[in-house]
Amino acid sequence: MPTFKLDDRDIEFQPGDTIIQAAHRAGVDIPHYCWHPGLSVAANCRMCLVELGPPPGRGPLLLDVLRYDAKTGEYVKTKKPKLVPACQQPLTEGMEVKSQTSEHVAEARAAVQELLLLNHPVDCPICDQAGECRLQDYWLSHGANKKRMRDEIVHKPKAVSFGPTIVYDAERCIVCTRCVRFCDEVVGDHVLDKRERGNLSEIVLAPGRQLDHAYTLMTEYVCPVGALTAKDFRFKARVWFLRSVRSVCVGCATGCNSYTDFDPRNQTVYRYRPRDNERVNKFWMCDEGMLDYRRIHTGRVLAAQAGGKQVAVDAGLDAAADACRKIDPNTSAVVLSAQHSNEDNFALLQLAQRLGVTRLFLSGRPEGEGDDILRSEDKNPNRTGVIGLCGLQTPGSFKDFAALAEQGNLRTVLALGSDAELPDRASALSKIESLVTIATHQGPFVKAARVVLPASSWAECDGTFVNRDGIAQLSERAVRPQGQSQPAWKLVAGLASRLGHDLGYKRVADVQAALAPQERSGAAVQEAGATA
Amino acid sequence: MLKRTNYLSHSYDKPDGHTLAAYEQAGGYRSARKVLSTLSREQVVDEVKKAHIRGRGGAGFDCGMKWSFMPKESKKPHYLVVNADEGEPGTFKDRTIMERNPHALIEGCIIGCYGVGAHAAYIYVRDELHLSKARLWAAIEEARAKGYLGKNPFGKNYEVEVYVHTGAGAYICGEETALLNSLEGRRGEPRLKPPFPAQVGAFGCPTTVNNVETIAIVPSIFQVGGDEFSKLSALHEWNDGGVRLFGVSGHVKKPGIYECAVGLTLRELIYDLGGGIIDDRPLLGVIPGGSSCPVHLPDEIVDVPNDPRFAPYNGKSVLDLPMGVDTLRGVGGMLGTCCAIVMSDAADPVLALHNLMRFYRHESCGQCTPCREGCGWIERILDKVIEGRGSIEELNELHEIASNITGNTICAFGDGAAQPALSFVRKYRKQLEDYILRGGQSQTRTLEA
Repeated sequence: MPTFKLDDRDIEFQPGDTIIQAAHRAGVDIPHYCWHPGLSVAANCRMCLVELGPPPGRGPLLLDVLRYDAKTGEYVKTKKPKLVPACQQPLTEGMEVKSQTSEHVAEARAAVQELLLLNHPVDCPICDQAGECRLQDYWLSHGANKKRMRDEIVHKPKAVSFGPTIVYDAERCIVCTRCVRFCDEVVGDHVLDKRERGNLSEIVLAPGRQLDHAYTLMTEYVCPVGALTAKDFRFKARVWFLRSVRSVCVGCATGCNSYTDFDPRNQTVYRYRPRDNERVNKFWMCDEGMLDYRRIHTGRVLAAQAGGKQVAVDAGLDAAADACRKIDPNTSAVVLSAQHSNEDNFALLQLAQRLGVTRLFLSGRPEGEGDDILRSEDKNPNRTGVIGLCGLQTPGSFKDFAALAEQGNLRTVLALGSDAELPDRASALSKIESLVTIATHQGPFVKAARVVLPASSWAECDGTFVNRDGIAQLSERAVRPQGQSQPAWKLVAGLASRLGHDLGYKRVADVQAALAPQERSGAAVQEAGATA
Repeated sequence: MLKRTNYLSHSYDKPDGHTLAAYEQAGGYRSARKVLSTLSREQVVDEVKKAHIRGRGGAGFDCGMKWSFMPKESKKPHYLVVNADEGEPGTFKDRTIMERNPHALIEGCIIGCYGVGAHAAYIYVRDELHLSKARLWAAIEEARAKGYLGKNPFGKNYEVEVYVHTGAGAYICGEETALLNSLEGRRGEPRLKPPFPAQVGAFGCPTTVNNVETIAIVPSIFQVGGDEFSKLSALHEWNDGGVRLFGVSGHVKKPGIYECAVGLTLRELIYDLGGGIIDDRPLLGVIPGGSSCPVHLPDEIVDVPNDPRFAPYNGKSVLDLPMGVDTLRGVGGMLGTCCAIVMSDAADPVLALHNLMRFYRHESCGQCTPCREGCGWIERILDKVIEGRGSIEELNELHEIASNITGNTICAFGDGAAQPALSFVRKYRKQLEDYILRGGQSQTRTLEA
C-alpha cells in the first residue's frame, strides 16, 4: 500500500484517498468542522488546512502577507506558504503533510477558530451542545485566546422551529452545510439550503416545507456545533453527566449501531446516538430509532402479577410454575419474541425442551414503514436470530397461533414479550386458559395473562440481536433493571428451577456460553464496536 | 509606451456603431469567415497562443493556453462561457464593448466556440447592464438573420449558437466557477478546484470561461495574425501581447476607456489619457486595475534586482513601469482589469479603504470561514475608525486578519479582499493612525461630500 508522511508518521492510504480520509482511518484527527466521512467534501470551514511539502523540483507556492514590527512601527512584507484543505487534497505516494508541526498551519487554524467565534453568542451555559461542541474543543486546542472583537455580534434568528424535531439557532451556526448535504445526499430531500451572503448566511427551510423526513434527528447529530438541537433532548441533560454504552437499536430489523446515553445518577436513558458501522448503518440512524429510547421508560411492566393482583416476583414465579406443571404437550405452546435478545429466547427454548413443549410460535411488533436507506418494515430487532435458534423447527407465525387459540385448543401458553404481530387478532388470546407472559412492556399478552413476570428491557441487560442481514451484534447494558424487573433469561431460569430443571444460568455469560455454538452456526457474530 | 489603437473601439464614437452594418463596414465578420472556412481547430488555438492574449478579466491567464486545455475529443458537449459579470469596482471596460461594439463579441464567440470545440456560447451578463443586454440581444438577432449564427455559419457545417444569460447582481458570480453555478441555476458559490472548468464546467461538461474583452479581441488576432498582433505590445517579450482597453476613473480630468497597445505606463494613463489630475493636485495613490489590486503610491520605486527583465525599470517610479501582468506582479502589485482608480490628495484613503471593505463584506459569498467573518471584522474595525471610536490596538489587528484570509479560501475573492486591505494599511498607516488619534482629515466622514 502506498504511504504518505503526516507530521512524523508514515501512514498508509488507498488510491483516491484525501489526506483527511487516510488520517481518519489511521485514527489521526485532523481538526475539521464541515468534513464528514459520509458526506461530500465542502471544504468551507478551512479548519483542516495543512501544509504540503513542495512538489519535487519546485519551490513552495508563497503568498504575500504582512507582519507588524511594533518596535520600529513598520510593516514588514513577508511570505507564507499556500495551505491546502486536507479534506480536498488527494494523496500521492510519499507526500509530506504537516498538520501539527507547521507554525503556518497553527496560525491559520487559530485564525479560523477565532473567526468562527467572532459572531458566535458564546452562550455555552444554555446550549445543549456544550460538552460535545467542536467550537469548545478546538478553541481549547487552537489558541484559547480571549475574544478580541468586543462589539455587538451580528444578530440572526434564534430558536427557529425547523419541524417537529429540530430547532435552529442561526447565531450559533457556522454554515458548514453538513445538515444541507446530509438531507441532499443521504435522504434525497432538498429541504434545507443556505440564504443570504457573507456573515449574514444562515440555513433555511425550503419554502412551504418543514424538516419532516424520517431522518431529521441526524441533522442535529451531524451539526458540529449547537446550531441544530433536538426538541426531544433540549434542556433535559448536560452531556458531561451522561455515560454511554455501545448498543444496538431495537426499533427495527436493521440493527443500527448506537450509543445509549444515560445518566447513572438517576438511571435514566436520555438519548440514542448513531455509532459508525460501515456494514450496517454507516453513520446514520432514523428518527424512529433514535427516539425509540423512550420505550425504555414508558409502558413498562415493572412488577409481577398473578390472578389480577400485583405480587412479588418470587410469588409470580411460583404462580407461573403452578401453571406450567399442568402442561400437556398437546394443548400447550411457547411463544418466542422477535423483540427479545438471543439470550432470552434461547433460555426459553431450553425450558420448552425440558417441558416437552414442541409447539413454537414467534411474535413481535407489527410491521411498519420501511425505506431503502435504513428503515426495515419489520420492526423487530431479532427475528433472524430467533429463527436461527429454532434450527430446523421453524416457529409458527402469530397468525397460526391466534387461529389455534381461537379454536380453544390452547390451555397453557408460556409467552415471551407482549406484542401481538397482528393487533386485530389479539382478542384470540383471551381464549387461552392459562397464559404466562414474561414481558418488558404492556400489551395484548400481558392483558390476557394469568401470570405476568416483569422482564428487563434491552437497555438493562446485555443481549445479542441478529439483524436482517444475519449479523449478530451485542448490545450492552446501560442502566440497572427497572422496578422489580429481571432479565427474561433469569426469570426463565428461576421458573425452570421451580419445575425441577436446572438450566445453570447465573450470569448472562452463562447463557451466552451455552448459546455460542448455536449462534455461530447460523450467523456471523459481530462484537459491539468491532468496527469504527 | 503610449500607442493608441482602435481594434475594438473603432466605432465607439459612431451613434450606430453597434449595428451589424457598421461592424461589417469596418471589416467585421471577415475573421470568423476566414477561420471557419480555412483553419482547423488546432490552427485556431495555435494562432491565439501566438498572440499572447493574457486574460482581460484580471487573472491574466494566457487565453490560447486556456483553450488548449479543452479535451480534444469528448462524448460530452463543450461550452464557451463569456464572463460579462463586470462588477469589479472601478472597472467599466466590458460594458463599452457590449454597448458599442457587440458584434466583436459575437464574432469572437463564433471563433472561440470553434477553437474550443463548442457549439454554444453563454454570455453571462451582469443584471444591471441593461443596455448591454439589449445590444447583445439585438446583435445576436442580426447575426442569426444573416446566418452567421445557426446551423451553417459562413457555409461551414459547424453549428454555433450564442445565448445571453443574465445574472442577479452578485459580485461573486464573476468568479468563473460561481458563474457556472449561477448559470446552472444554483447558488452562486465558487466550486472546489480541481476539477477545473476545462474538465467539468457548465452542466458537468468541458467549458472555457473567458472575459468579454478577451473574446472580443480574438477576431482582431485573425485580422493581423497572431505574431503580428502580439508584437503590437511593448511587452511582447514578456508574453503579454496585443492591445487592450485601459480605463481610468477617479480624480482625473478625462476619465474613460482608452484602447492602447499593452505596455502603457500608469503615468501615461493618468496624465496623458486621463488628462492629469483634477485641479492639478498631487497624486495620492492609484489602484491599477479594479479594487482587488494593491494600491500604489507615486513615490514607489521599482526594485526587482533578481529578475534581469526589470533592469530597465529598476530605480524608476512604479508609474513609469509598463502595465503588464508580469511587470506589476513582479513589484508586488496586480494588473487586474487595467482600469485604474486614481486618487488625488483630495481623497481620504481611510474612507476609501472603508468603502472597499464595506463592498467586500457585502459581496463575500459566505462559504469559507476566513472570508465570511474576516471581511466583516475588517469593515467593523474601519467603521469604528472613521466614527472616531477606533483604537491602535484594533488597527494592529487589521493586517493580521487580512493575512489570514489570504490564500485560505476556496476562490480568489479572499485574496481580492485581503490584498487591498494589506496594501492600504501598509501604505496609509499614518492616515489611519491620524484618524484614531486626532479624528482624521474628513469633516463629513463620508466619501460622497
